[in-house]
Amino acid sequence: MSEAPETGPVADRTLRTGPGRVLVAVYAVFALAATARGSYQLVTRFEEAPAAYGLSVLAGVVYLVAAVGLARAGRTSRVVALVSVSVEMAGVLVVGALSVFASGVFPDDTVWSGFGSGYLFIPLVLPALGLWWILHVHRLDREAQATGA
Amino acid sequence: MVDWLTMAIQMVSLAMAVWCLISTFRDQPMLVPHLIGVGVLWLLVLGQVGATVVTMVGGERPDEMVMFVSYLATVVLLPPACAVWGFMERTKWGPAVIAFACLILPVLMVRIEQLWSPVV
Repeated sequence: MSEAPETGPVADRTLRTGPGRVLVAVYAVFALAATARGSYQLVTRFEEAPAAYGLSVLAGVVYLVAAVGLARAGRTSRVVALVSVSVEMAGVLVVGALSVFASGVFPDDTVWSGFGSGYLFIPLVLPALGLWWILHVHRLDREAQATGA
Repeated sequence: MVDWLTMAIQMVSLAMAVWCLISTFRDQPMLVPHLIGVGVLWLLVLGQVGATVVTMVGGERPDEMVMFVSYLATVVLLPPACAVWGFMERTKWGPAVIAFACLILPVLMVRIEQLWSPVV
């Protein structure tokens, strides 16, 4: 009964249907891209820029967690998605700023360098859309609760 | 790598993206014509990857082999994956996923070309 019966199946599904499905697809692609690129570089050119490559892998893992969080219904997943998307937002802002103002920290590019400029700025737009979507679904849920209970 | 196939894939892919975006704005789910379009795109991609694999077996290989093969695998999987997504999501957001996939496919093809014949 802890799975919030008052929200019903409609609200349970919302996070992963409609626009959510698109978000999951985009997140999945970025998880793959960042993890694959990062681990390949870690394996082949570790000594050149371990921080940058490690960061790429980390970013990939965050994308993966966000994708899974968005794809699964339920309260816990929503919190997972919210946290991972927030981490991603912070990551792209901090790393983006570092790469612009202190380029020595990351000698090689990562997904988040230059605020995601190497990836059409999608890494910058994505967490904003993700946060909007999660909060939007959350609000729908609250409204459903208010009228349903 | 067959140059004109890469061109064809990019053109068809971009056309598919535009078409699927229009479908999204028209509130249409993924329909049979979309599937046929994705199928055509997939055949083109398979043709290119097949030709490339034959060339590689023949001895001509890019420097970053692992990277190259993983890119090839990604482009092969992309069209069927977005079609499956379209089946799962029977709303206008199905074509939206296909549109996204069709926008990154040309980018992936550019990367593949770069890996195959590095400019520098």
